[in-house]
Amino acid sequence: MPLEPAGAGSLRSFHMEVARRSILKAAGALGLLALVPLERLQSLAATAPGPGAAGRFLTAHEMATLRAVCARFIPGPPEDPDPGALEAGVPEAIDLLLAAFTFDPPLIHAGGPFSNRAGARRDDFARFVPLDALAELGWRIRIEGSRGIKRREFAGPVVGLQEIYRDGLAHLDARANSLFRMNFTALPGPAQDLLLSDQTDGDTQTFVGAALSNSLDAMYGPPEYGGNRQLVGWRYTAWPGDSQPRGFSRSQVSNAGPNGARLGPAAIEAAQRFLPAFVGRPASREQFWLARAGFMRA
Amino acid sequence: MPKPSVIIVGSGAGASVAAWELSRTGHEVLIFEKGRNLLPGLGSKGKIGSLFGNDEVKPGRYFENQDPILEPRTGRTQKQARNGVARSFVGDINDLPTTVGGGTVHWDAKTPRFWRQDFKGLSLYGPVAGANVADWPLTYDRLSPFYDEVEKHLGVQGDVTKMPSATLAQAPRRRQFPMKPNPPMYGGSLLAEGARTLGYEPYPFPMAVNSRRYGGRPACNSCGFCSGWGCPINARGGAAVSWLHHALQAGAVLKPRSFVFRVDLSSNGRRAIGVSYLDSRGIKRRARADVVIVAASAIETARLLLMSATPKHPDGIGNRSGQLGRNLMFHFFTIAFGLFQDDVHAWMGPSTTVTLDDFVGPDRTPAASAAGLPYLKGGICEVGGSFPLLSEAGIYSAVPNTWGRQHKELMRLGMVRRHIAGLSMVGEDMPQEANRVDLDPEIRDVYGFPVPRVTRSAHRFELAASAYYGPKLAALCAAAPGSLGGFMLPVATLGELGTPVGEAFAGIASTAHIMGTARMGTDPRHSVTDGFGRVHDVENLVLADGSVFVSAGGFNPTLTIMALALRAARKIGGGKPA
Repeated sequence: MPLEPAGAGSLRSFHMEVARRSILKAAGALGLLALVPLERLQSLAATAPGPGAAGRFLTAHEMATLRAVCARFIPGPPEDPDPGALEAGVPEAIDLLLAAFTFDPPLIHAGGPFSNRAGARRDDFARFVPLDALAELGWRIRIEGSRGIKRREFAGPVVGLQEIYRDGLAHLDARANSLFRMNFTALPGPAQDLLLSDQTDGDTQTFVGAALSNSLDAMYGPPEYGGNRQLVGWRYTAWPGDSQPRGFSRSQVSNAGPNGARLGPAAIEAAQRFLPAFVGRPASREQFWLARAGFMRA
Repeated sequence: MPKPSVIIVGSGAGASVAAWELSRTGHEVLIFEKGRNLLPGLGSKGKIGSLFGNDEVKPGRYFENQDPILEPRTGRTQKQARNGVARSFVGDINDLPTTVGGGTVHWDAKTPRFWRQDFKGLSLYGPVAGANVADWPLTYDRLSPFYDEVEKHLGVQGDVTKMPSATLAQAPRRRQFPMKPNPPMYGGSLLAEGARTLGYEPYPFPMAVNSRRYGGRPACNSCGFCSGWGCPINARGGAAVSWLHHALQAGAVLKPRSFVFRVDLSSNGRRAIGVSYLDSRGIKRRARADVVIVAASAIETARLLLMSATPKHPDGIGNRSGQLGRNLMFHFFTIAFGLFQDDVHAWMGPSTTVTLDDFVGPDRTPAASAAGLPYLKGGICEVGGSFPLLSEAGIYSAVPNTWGRQHKELMRLGMVRRHIAGLSMVGEDMPQEANRVDLDPEIRDVYGFPVPRVTRSAHRFELAASAYYGPKLAALCAAAPGSLGGFMLPVATLGELGTPVGEAFAGIASTAHIMGTARMGTDPRHSVTDGFGRVHDVENLVLADGSVFVSAGGFNPTLTIMALALRAARKIGGGKPA
């Protein structure tokens, strides 16, 4: 039985194919997109928009509204003693995700296996993994939506993250204006909380579901994704972050952690009352797009 | 005369073991995998690399997992099926990795063996009403040499001298494990002490993790990114690094991003002649071989055989019995945890290092008869785990409106991350004919083919067993030294559908154990394959994954998948143990 010629699908040619495809893609996209070669993480932080400026995808006003939202989700000083979403660069990281395809490779999957924080010399995380054609299709649908493009609607229309953010941020302004006659950013914190926590407002909660999930990624994920600046998300939580290739010693693994992390009486009482409710719930799975998209059909 | 050539569909646990055995013994082997390869250097003469890291964001972005936008699955309950509801959920059901190496690229790597009683459930303990209980067409003792061989090549740690006599009576072992156990995780050691004070017998969890350099791969350094994360240093054994790597070195050919949509049969329908597939550019192609092995996971294997229907096999290949797609099992997990004042960092290490078998059963308790059941069974326990940082944040955020200052307080305390040690029981599902995979009549995947539809409801066996064992698990956690209390959790896998999206199927999506859908048996009227995974009506078509399981056992299934695949491949190739 003749099998197909060996090598046609070998790993080597697979990798070459990926390399070739990303070069072709980069070339073909010139003129349509200003593709940015992603050299190092520092360049991301350096190009991040300052306050009042437009982001890579969001407008200046949308960025300002998103900053206000993220600051309510994960507050920093003076409301909380430790750095929050603004200090961590969370809104900028979310804007980068929405603009992921203006980079090559797209800013979706950080590389591996090591950063340079735990004993390795090179930061592999900063070299994002190229998407192949199928993975790119999935992520274009997730970020840009299906937009009536036939190839993207094999299972029905999908609303993308870009639209969810654009609509959600505009909706917050609309609510703020109808209730308080001012934009969301102009409201005091408690009034912003009131709008964001309104569980009867489905449009707001669709947006909150996406934005909160993306905020947590940007606050507590590796800084290569553009958030967690100066590792503020890992410092205030006393989290060691990525530990490879160093890892942990037998003594660290098999003994209690440092004493400073002991729970006090009030925390214990709170934990005993509320932990079962927290832990009994499945973690947020970022499935907002399913219900919203007509993707979910009964 | 050249040896028979072989096509293998899938590159996960069963597929890679079969590829290893057959390429090693001189067969031409061609492997189709619909995912990408994320392990640079796999199959080369050099070191195997990894694109995985201690990165909590990447797995949530479908790096290795099947992207439900491209390949959704649909779901419904048994009741909805009876009422003619086509589906009540579209999205992510049981999100095993779709990548070279399959589920084992991020598995927990726990490798218990099934017990003697698991193979003979019907003859030992009798039927269970509403369940499709049957014996396997083989015994533990037939499989035992293959367990030995798989453990050696996979690279498994453990300590036979610490194993309970009940375990060794049910799953006898001829020799010590290839490697000694990892450094014990602190939280798990505390729960183990609690277990001992209650008379239970905890012991080091057998697992495919290197505790020393083994098989050309380094020792584990307990980074804490294990179950659910790809290993950055390949210290964890698995399909790709322990088997496929060597199969490729021996000449097997791997075609990633190639989606097999049909098994092709001879015109009389009695022999497989090859497969039809879409290549990495989406072009339809065919490949031909003397033998076809399908090992695409219980859900995808059933789907492929159903999609391959012909006039001779109108209901799908090998479905004369009507059992194809049925008896789908997941394991109901029941979870408890202890709360500790100290930082017990139960995330630090290879997920868990302690196990116990005291809740495997069967238990003929009044709780069973009250539920109208002959007995209850639970399963092996993963003792002493918790969650890393971003996962912790995700758990808190699942409760509405908990963002803001209280979020910061919770994260500063690290209650879930640092102060709990969890215990999860791998509960045994009953096989039910009505829990099944079929083809969704409407929804298509990115390739244009019908997606698998999962119909599932828990049997009252699982509900009663969870209610019976759960408080025992919580009591164990409460008995641990320094424990401030033990808690039992409502179990997501036992939830019915009809609750909001994301909640309902989260339980099923989060159990990575999928079994059944093409059960083996001696009688072709009631089973899909024989004891070697050969489809009854198509002699050269072999299934080599969890689809052939007759019962779920209360144990992580991958070692048994590998042992069955090795046994099936050796039957094809006639080779001798390596």
